[in-house]
Amino acid sequence: MDAIRQARVAFYLTGSRPVAELEPVEGLHFGPALLARYRDLGSLRHDFPAVLLAGAEAAVGVRPLSGLIDDALKEVAHGEAGERISQHALRFETLLRRAVAGGARGSLRALWTETARQAGADEDEQLRDSLDRIIDAFDVDGELADCDAELPPQLFSHVWQQIQHEKARRLASSVARLVHRVSNILRADFARSTEGRSADSLKASIGGVDAEAIDFDAMSRVLRRTANRTTITEERRRRLEQLASALQSYDFEPQAFRFTSCSRALAAWRERFPMLIDVARAIAMAELEIAGDYREDRHDAFFADYGADGLSPEDISMFADYLVCVNAATMDAQEQAALMEILSSGLPIKILVQTDDILEDALQGSARRGFGRSAPHFANMAVGLTDVYVLQATASHLLSCTGRIADGIAYPGTALFSVFSGATGFSADLPPYMVAAAAVESRAFPVFSYDPSAGADLASRFSVASNPQPEGDWPLHEFSYEDEERRKVSASIAFTFVDFAALDERYARHLARVPHAQWDDAMIPVGEALEAQTEDPPDRVPCLLMVDRQDQLQKVLVDEKLLREARRCREAWHSLQELGGIHNSYAEQVLAEERQARRPGPPQEGEAPPEAVPEAAVPATGEGAAVEAEPEPEPSPDEAYIETPRCTTCNECTEINDKMFAYNDNRQAYIADLDAGTYAQMVEAAESCQVSIIHPGKPRDPDEPGLEELVERAEPFL
Amino acid sequence: MAAAASHCLLRLYEERHELEDYQSGVPRWCTGCGDNAILAAVQRLCRDEQLRPEKTVFVSGIGCSSRFPHYMKTYGFHGIHGRALPVAEGIRMARKDLHVFVNTGDGDCCSIGAAHWVHAIRYNMNMTVFLHDNQIYGLTKMQVSPTSPKGLRSNTTPRGAFLEAMQPLTVTLGVQNVSFVAQAVDWIPELLYDIVSAAYKHRGFSFIRIVQRCPEWLPNLFEPWLHDPERVRLLHHEDGLEVSPTLARVYRNQEHHDPSDIDRAREIASCIDPIPVGILYRNPEVPCYEDLRETDHLRTNEFIKSGLEAEFDKFTVWPSA
Repeated sequence: MDAIRQARVAFYLTGSRPVAELEPVEGLHFGPALLARYRDLGSLRHDFPAVLLAGAEAAVGVRPLSGLIDDALKEVAHGEAGERISQHALRFETLLRRAVAGGARGSLRALWTETARQAGADEDEQLRDSLDRIIDAFDVDGELADCDAELPPQLFSHVWQQIQHEKARRLASSVARLVHRVSNILRADFARSTEGRSADSLKASIGGVDAEAIDFDAMSRVLRRTANRTTITEERRRRLEQLASALQSYDFEPQAFRFTSCSRALAAWRERFPMLIDVARAIAMAELEIAGDYREDRHDAFFADYGADGLSPEDISMFADYLVCVNAATMDAQEQAALMEILSSGLPIKILVQTDDILEDALQGSARRGFGRSAPHFANMAVGLTDVYVLQATASHLLSCTGRIADGIAYPGTALFSVFSGATGFSADLPPYMVAAAAVESRAFPVFSYDPSAGADLASRFSVASNPQPEGDWPLHEFSYEDEERRKVSASIAFTFVDFAALDERYARHLARVPHAQWDDAMIPVGEALEAQTEDPPDRVPCLLMVDRQDQLQKVLVDEKLLREARRCREAWHSLQELGGIHNSYAEQVLAEERQARRPGPPQEGEAPPEAVPEAAVPATGEGAAVEAEPEPEPSPDEAYIETPRCTTCNECTEINDKMFAYNDNRQAYIADLDAGTYAQMVEAAESCQVSIIHPGKPRDPDEPGLEELVERAEPFL
Repeated sequence: MAAAASHCLLRLYEERHELEDYQSGVPRWCTGCGDNAILAAVQRLCRDEQLRPEKTVFVSGIGCSSRFPHYMKTYGFHGIHGRALPVAEGIRMARKDLHVFVNTGDGDCCSIGAAHWVHAIRYNMNMTVFLHDNQIYGLTKMQVSPTSPKGLRSNTTPRGAFLEAMQPLTVTLGVQNVSFVAQAVDWIPELLYDIVSAAYKHRGFSFIRIVQRCPEWLPNLFEPWLHDPERVRLLHHEDGLEVSPTLARVYRNQEHHDPSDIDRAREIASCIDPIPVGILYRNPEVPCYEDLRETDHLRTNEFIKSGLEAEFDKFTVWPSA
């Protein structure tokens, strides 16, 4: 083994770089080759900046600026000026994006005006015209937000607030309806009372205009004497008055239910809970009272204990949800315990756990603080609790998850949102959006959701579909570059955990640059190395394709520790894939067994060939097939009987003899007692029956007069 | 919502209603009248669905069939001629919690009440409408009705009716927003019950025309159909009626008809002989008028007063200052 290869293997195994053969990458500002084209994020149209739409419906409460501009262009970029407006708009969008990335904040309209002024719109009439037309086409406004550490709490609070406002509106309207209906009962009762029928009350109810034309004293005397005087009991009146007052005691202040600490949220919930019980009880009682179904003997005892064992999820979901925004790095043991308590409680508390650094824990010798890399595992654990809504996502993907964020907040139980912001502080000048997006791409922080309300099984509840190429270990991408002879070279490369780690300055010591002159076939792409079995000593060493600031391709060796970490990451991804139904080991096992079982083999001795199913055994299910009749035993013509199911309840037979003929539970006739009448009545009934379903049979009494004639008359009905 | 909890409570303590709980008085209809069969089927439905009598209302106009509410121990409104439907619509609009049924005859619905009938179909408010069609004015002793067959001799047409009979099913199926149309005959009680039940379960304006015998004035009109099962065609479908094997033994003339097929429904509706029996058309997607007009506004005294004042102000002549 030559010196160069020895040095590479040594670096791979130990992580130490022999200076002569391998170069350090610290300070060289290398980036993964696949991210090279995204270096200037400001010029690329993407989800950010986003507009947190004010007063909009929760389902579409957040829109990318680029989407809003596209919609506006569809509306105004027509005719001669169309091309000019489009170009101005797209150029201005870039300016606005750079301004927001540079820290500018405010509402879309305010920032639009300010940036337009800076862009010289005051002097350029055409530019001003284009921008005015675009902004006039916006029918919305809202705060602009960029993808940074501030985004998760800002976005979640926004969506949460919209949902709470809608909830508050619904509850307020429902309570107002109940109060109105309860008050109506009281008012109707008053109108029936002696006081309500007094001359003064009657006069007040008519109004002033024609008051002199009516003698209210006389009217009062008549009404008191004649009209219905039933009034409700004193106890019920008191109950109704209390209900009206309890219903109006709930104070809905969504802003009061936002917290930055799990323990404080829990304490606030406990303090407020007795009041919620009172209101929920009042609502349930009022519904019963309004329907006229309240029974004191039955319901008093029930409502006395109402809420003693907690409220039902339906009751709880009427009230405000609590929102807790915490940062994983600042959570101490007490906070973690409170978080666990909330997660297992089922309370309508929605927790956003934000992680800014997911690589910290993986570093050797780092003092562990907070969750670090364990944050993803924490979200996995919450899935295990089965009734917690879980969403894991990075800040870069939050906009595409807005629907699921709203679902989680509207879910009638606890929800955990685990979000990686990408603002690690260790990625040089790379924007947090790129770091966050790379975390999803590299499976370091996959996006997944678990919605317990979506169905009974994992297949309906769990989804990893939002990840790039979810069926693969790593997403594969085409990468093209020019070699030294200016020939185009294309390769398919996997974006792995190593690419993500290479963005972090702290991981530079796990990488070593190979001078161009030393490139050879013994350096294999990381994706390939991760698939291969580990050899000792390895023939080939993994290397990463990177690009420097001059867009020159570089090959960088990766040490074994980083590769091991990538394998751990892949294992974690595999378990998520299985939950999401991808490469499920049970399913694959069953499939393999089934294939084995179906493989044609020589028939075993004594084994009979499978019998053909006789045609007659196959049920006829063809369309249009008539309903087949079931054979039924024919009744004897000697016995009297009625085809009861065909009786039309016409009363003919019961009028003849209501002891002999009677109606069953469905009011259809049957022979109740044959001995209760004569054969003559039986024959008469058969003749009168509108639908001819009475069959008189043979006479039972041979001595009955006129039998011969009766038998003849009965003949057609036997 | 809390409503769910209180509904559970209701169910917990609800009393069971038997068929007798819906019976009120002895019907004054003639012995043998088809109205009795309809009454029995409807009372059975009320019992099977456990409709609470105080939450159920039957509305009628004028005629033999319109005496129906008197024989139901529920709320009832015996209205004026031809106006059963507007009354029922008012009830439905004000009290969405009630089960609303309408009983109307061929004269009440298809003659004097025809305009209300057409618009009630279009409004598609959630109610079940029984058209008791005996093809004659019975209560006033045998005058021709819009559905009387051509040539029928009656007190008003001694030389026979001059016009072709109106087909209530084709009219109903021709109106926009139609959502449920079925036909039953009073002499097959099992199917009558099944159709009444399906109509009740449909949310919208469920219209059932019930071909009904009048033994007093037209005792022989339906004799040929009554005694020849081949002259009744049963419509069956997985999404419509499932015919029992016992019934299938007697009525072998059957058609597999999909109730969502309005074109075929219209063809079937214009068939007089054999009489089609079953669900001709059903479309649960048609919106109900009461839902379209749903509003969050509570009708408080203040709200009503301010609305009235605003209307009055339009016509008030203010004395000059």
